[in-house]
Amino acid sequence: MRYDCLSDWRAIPSLSGLSDLSNPPKALYYRGTFDPSLFTAVSSVVGSRRMTNYGRVCVERITASLVTHGRTVLSGFMYGVDRAAHESTIALGGKTVAVLGWGIAVPLSPEEEALAERIIDAGGLVVSEWIDQQPTLWTFPVRNRIVAALSHEIIVVEAAVKSGSLITASIGKKLHRKIFAVPGPITSSVSRGTNQLLSSGEASFWVGDQAPRVEKETHPLLLLLQDEGRSVNDIARAVKRPVEEINAELSLLLLSDQVREQGGIFYARKN
Amino acid sequence: MLVKINSATHIGLETVPVCVEVDVASQGFPGFTIVGLASKAIEEARERVKTAIINSGFDFPPKKITVNLAPADLPKDGAAYDLPIAIGVLVASGQLPGVSQDALYYGEVSLDGSLRPTRGILVLALFAKKQQYKALYVPKPSASEATVVSGVSVFPVETLETLAHHIEGTTPIAPIIHRMPTVPEDEKSIDIDLSDIAGQDLAKRALIIAAAGGHNVLMWGPPGTGKTMLARALPGILPPLTADEALEVTRIYSVSGLLPPGTALLSRRPFRAPHHGVSAAGLIGGGSTPQPGEVSLAHLGVLFLDEMPEFSRSVLESLRQPMEDGVVEIVRVMGHVRYPASFTLIAAINPCPCGYLGHPRRECTCTAKQIAKYRHRMSGPILDRIDLTVMVAPVEVEKLAVTDVGEGNRISSQEAKARVMKARAMQEKRFFGMHMYTNSQMRNKEVKSMCRLTKEAEQFLRLAAEKYDFSARSYMRLIKVARTIADLSESEDILQIHMAEALQYKQLS
Repeated sequence: MRYDCLSDWRAIPSLSGLSDLSNPPKALYYRGTFDPSLFTAVSSVVGSRRMTNYGRVCVERITASLVTHGRTVLSGFMYGVDRAAHESTIALGGKTVAVLGWGIAVPLSPEEEALAERIIDAGGLVVSEWIDQQPTLWTFPVRNRIVAALSHEIIVVEAAVKSGSLITASIGKKLHRKIFAVPGPITSSVSRGTNQLLSSGEASFWVGDQAPRVEKETHPLLLLLQDEGRSVNDIARAVKRPVEEINAELSLLLLSDQVREQGGIFYARKN
Repeated sequence: MLVKINSATHIGLETVPVCVEVDVASQGFPGFTIVGLASKAIEEARERVKTAIINSGFDFPPKKITVNLAPADLPKDGAAYDLPIAIGVLVASGQLPGVSQDALYYGEVSLDGSLRPTRGILVLALFAKKQQYKALYVPKPSASEATVVSGVSVFPVETLETLAHHIEGTTPIAPIIHRMPTVPEDEKSIDIDLSDIAGQDLAKRALIIAAAGGHNVLMWGPPGTGKTMLARALPGILPPLTADEALEVTRIYSVSGLLPPGTALLSRRPFRAPHHGVSAAGLIGGGSTPQPGEVSLAHLGVLFLDEMPEFSRSVLESLRQPMEDGVVEIVRVMGHVRYPASFTLIAAINPCPCGYLGHPRRECTCTAKQIAKYRHRMSGPILDRIDLTVMVAPVEVEKLAVTDVGEGNRISSQEAKARVMKARAMQEKRFFGMHMYTNSQMRNKEVKSMCRLTKEAEQFLRLAAEKYDFSARSYMRLIKVARTIADLSESEDILQIHMAEALQYKQLS
């Protein structure tokens, strides 16, 4: 596998955030084409591996807003929120950087490799401070300090009380980064950490894109799906029409990328 | 004196004649021997027959008795030879007058001389008719199976003693009355009505499409969402069995001994739901004397596999032949047996091992690896033969629908069946003279020649194929489902809306 080394990251102004750390990495290894401008405006989106549907919706909205503002989306390449953030950014045409919790030369599973390649093809980077370090319990929190140091703001989506995302947030706080958290249901264990960040005042409430967007949506199904995801049964009941017609219309909307489907639930796509 | 009594044995659904030869010798040591590749159950007939004869008020001759079951090289099993052996002994010892060679004797004898229910009477009666036997003596509890067969006098035998009186001519037994094989279409033929199920409009729609086009269905959703209940509703919306089909189903149940006493013809389409611990032999049939398996018992009906990934892989793989050919072939010592097995498969799966992936309120506790492994356990070749995939939503959400009277909520099984039959009529016309009955049976050749797509439908299909990266097989599957949807709306051409609806039932990616 081809990778490159960046031993003198101190010479690159956009990476100066790393020197805020008491134990900065000696060198950075990366796959992809290095472009210093990737790191001028970085937001990291981190969260639980056990993402719920709610988490996915949040990630997609957050990344959509970040991409439209031309920011780089940084995350940790784990499954769940991290990977959803990478994937959604690529799908939206944005650039994303993955900081691995293991060495750059450690072979990836086929599906991880496919994602890594898509990140690189989209103009992003896969980064690590190690070459052949295997993933173990300690490597992930150590990796998190790089995520925190490289980003200007950290957005936490769905984190449990004891989780790597909270570690990232607390390191970020020490480094004076801006911390945001997405509130979640108090019944969900994967939202307990984010809710705690908010109630203790460590994080600001993430309310999304502040600019009010005026949209004239006329399609009745899109209007219905604008604010929440619904199943076919649900939609049919709401608009009082047979499922066969709803099914046909949803297919057309799916193909024209106006809605998307996840586990049988349909959502309107935000432009 | 030597006596020959006619009987028969079943090998699968085939019947072969067996001649029971009984000799009561005037010389030699007293004894009772049965020869002719007899199984343990037949060996024990000696004790049953001896006791039954004595308890019926006859004498058991203290002489050398030899019974031969001819042909000698055919392995024989079951207790149905009790009756011919008992009659043979009574005739050969001079206690009864001779019996006609135009009659078949068949049935298990109890120690008190009465006759017990014996499996395979329907198949036997059909054989007797074909071979032009005139009379059939069978146990009374099972005799009703033979009512649909004409041209043979079927005598229901209650005890050895009543049969003896019949043969002597003192009190003849009245033969059973023949009835034309008609299938009564009554309310009872519906187990669960579609209108009994709250909400789940999408799944109901999928069932109607499945019934109309003979498609197999995969339902996925968290536990307790009503997948089993939906599956049970499918037989009620399939077209009623024709008289010939009813006879075919009843034959299988007859040889398995699963017909309840007093039944003439089964009028309901069968529904079988084997547990996931079932063995390959239990599912497709087997045993040293090959018995029909679950796939044959589900013939012309519905086979429901709940939690399909929990079935062992080799068991699922054994479904390939019956799903492809509609028959199973079993080879055992007893011979080569073919059972029909043409059924609609409904498979149910949970979204992940814990069942709560994507649930609106509960969290899934599975790791990505576990989920991948669970999905991987479903056999690819079987999934290839499933045309419709549908999500069954959690029941908490759907319960709200009870108060809400939506359109789909009200459809009853009767209405659904009427629509299905209309669609089937279109298919019958299309496949006239092609030995094909439903859209699901189309091969690529027929799909190309018989499914006319409008330009918009074609364009839609291309777009969809590109977006979802369809294989050739999923492409064909989509057209077949769209064909059935078009048939349901009685359209000769496949329109874009039909294609668009079909896309919603594509496989999980």
